[in-house]
Amino acid sequence: MIELIASPASLQQATALMQAGIDTIYAGEDYFGLRLPHSFERSELTELIQLVHSQNKKIVVAVNAIFHNDRIVNVQNYLEFLAAEKVDRVTIGDPGAIRILQKNQIALDYWYDSADLVTNARQVNFWHQHGAAGAVIANEVPYQELQQLVPNLKAPIQLLVYGAAAIHQSGRPLLTNYFNFVQAHQDKLDREKGLFISEPRKPESHYAIYEDINGTHVFANNDVDLMPRILKVAQLPINHWFLDGLYADETGFVTIAKAFDTARTSFEQGQLTAAQCLQLDELVQQNQPANRAVDTGFFDIDPDDVK
Amino acid sequence: MIENKPEVLAPAGTMEKLKVAIDYGADAVYIGGDAYGLRSRAGNFSFEEMAEGATYAHAHHAKVYVAANIVAHEGNLEGAGAYFREVRDNGIDAVIVSDPSLIEIAITQAPGLAVHLSTQASATNWETLNFWKDEGLERIVLAREVGLAEIKEIRKHTDIQIEAFVHGAMCIGYSGRCVLSNHMGLRDANRGGCAQNCRWRYDLFEMPTLGEKQTTLGKNQDGEIEDFSMSAVDMSMIEHIPELIDAGVNSLKIEGRMKTVHYVSTVANVYHKAVADYCADPVNYQMDPELVDELWKVAQREMSTGFYFGTPTEDDELFGPRRQQPHYKFIGQVLSYDRDQQIVTVQQRNNFGIGDKIEFYGPNFTHYRQTVTDLTDEWHHDIQRAPHAMQTVHFHCPYPVHPGDFIRAKEVKANVKVTN
Repeated sequence: MIELIASPASLQQATALMQAGIDTIYAGEDYFGLRLPHSFERSELTELIQLVHSQNKKIVVAVNAIFHNDRIVNVQNYLEFLAAEKVDRVTIGDPGAIRILQKNQIALDYWYDSADLVTNARQVNFWHQHGAAGAVIANEVPYQELQQLVPNLKAPIQLLVYGAAAIHQSGRPLLTNYFNFVQAHQDKLDREKGLFISEPRKPESHYAIYEDINGTHVFANNDVDLMPRILKVAQLPINHWFLDGLYADETGFVTIAKAFDTARTSFEQGQLTAAQCLQLDELVQQNQPANRAVDTGFFDIDPDDVK
Repeated sequence: MIENKPEVLAPAGTMEKLKVAIDYGADAVYIGGDAYGLRSRAGNFSFEEMAEGATYAHAHHAKVYVAANIVAHEGNLEGAGAYFREVRDNGIDAVIVSDPSLIEIAITQAPGLAVHLSTQASATNWETLNFWKDEGLERIVLAREVGLAEIKEIRKHTDIQIEAFVHGAMCIGYSGRCVLSNHMGLRDANRGGCAQNCRWRYDLFEMPTLGEKQTTLGKNQDGEIEDFSMSAVDMSMIEHIPELIDAGVNSLKIEGRMKTVHYVSTVANVYHKAVADYCADPVNYQMDPELVDELWKVAQREMSTGFYFGTPTEDDELFGPRRQQPHYKFIGQVLSYDRDQQIVTVQQRNNFGIGDKIEFYGPNFTHYRQTVTDLTDEWHHDIQRAPHAMQTVHFHCPYPVHPGDFIRAKEVKANVKVTN
């Protein structure tokens, strides 16, 4: 059974995503989690958890930030809150948070998620030995490596099949520093500000960039869209497909989720074809925000071409 | 007097640098092997060279660590256990690792080999340090984003060894959490391919629809368009050695396995002196301002204290036209000194000649400055310049310099803006 996971920007969108076939809602608060479409603080998160469970769906909460001392001291309380709310699982990227979870015997499943750092099966198995029920695989692992990696796994992996791929996290406010230097103070340098950078030799490139309480984040030139390769993903098999709503269009994201649900259902019925994937991909592309393009990221890259 | 003096840990890209770093005061050096290291372009060590380096280090009461800090992809791990056993059996004191799969292999398949967590793993709180301590690691290299007050707090909650960067170039992002190089040039930053894309100069813009770029670049103080960049100035904590030691740091790390002998000798010498002086008499310690001057002689960029005293601002990044800095070139090494004739014999490393103002420097922070007034070649023929690499030359020197002392000369040139 393939699990479709998506991150909503609102309660309303969460409802629509579940109606579109999403099984698991991924959300959290940016104090504890990285790069979320919306920061759900506790009361709102409680409401979301209740909403998701009322639909017999699952909820995963992001606890995957890099924690400094000031925040690690609040992690235990947050995990206990999530356990009391019957959250289905959390993502964790900082081993300190795993230690807190385990030494306090907090009844929560966790998946290991440290962005670009999970790149081989033995790492996944390492975290599995340390209690992880699964792990989020880096976007920089090509298909050829996934083919070698999947048979060696002792726990499942989650793959980004749609959405913005983070490629850099700085602890510095890089945009604020820049605008201060040029004496052009900006009140807002968050995701809604909609800034991009382009490479000096590729002026057509457009890497999204924003600041939040976790620092500065940069994203890949295009959003990941694995619909054209989703048959290969399913056949690997990778059964946990993540759709990131971070930069997605409010309604377009729901349509995209529905397209992946259709692909999933077709595959499970043994009917998914390459032609259907391409048809569904048209839907994905039609529902992209006007300022964002898609590609297949590292999926098709020959590992030998990476130096 | 402080009994548990922290270690000064210097980079060593080659055997020559390893020996020089130790001669110039490093208590330990870190090197790369033929596999699993992040500096693919540094001169990496074979097992035989590791053994030679370890023997030299141990004879001088110093240690050698091997960096094996890649984030491995499927297929990269084959042979890792045998590699770590060879490293251990050739006398290496520890490996520096960030990938949990490599950590597990080192601990289970090369028992007795100490493992240090690389800064690539971004350890930033005491719970994380204690997680890795429970795994059997000996030491944690902290993320460069950890402040001095945070280190003090971490120290209260753990007794694992703490290593902290004190000098050199810095990643602008959390180390390990950056794959700019992968995406912009198919070079894996976490497997030794980093192309330093952060230091490129970018356009910064809004884009309501694809291709409709609306630049938001501003102007610098000269009225010129200032490109967006993510380029950090270098770190220097020379003025804060007491605070670092008092906070409980066990190892002070100098960045730069790609750097020159001139750099390694100078920086190791400076930090060794500061640590030795402070530990000898912490109550009356005052930093010798000459230490700062000395570091400027090998500086490649302006310097700051990174995250140690708060989140870095625009002053900690390389924006705008850079200050003109005096630049020093490494010109040679003393082969011998004739005390009676006051003649020094030198092996040339860079062009110099009569009229140049030069400076000898040696271990334990000895310095002599003079102007070259005469010069002869190896056949004692008078010459004006020494233009040939590794050429042996002689000239008068009134100071009792020693074989192995280095010589540099000052040249003034403007630093060029960093571009790609």
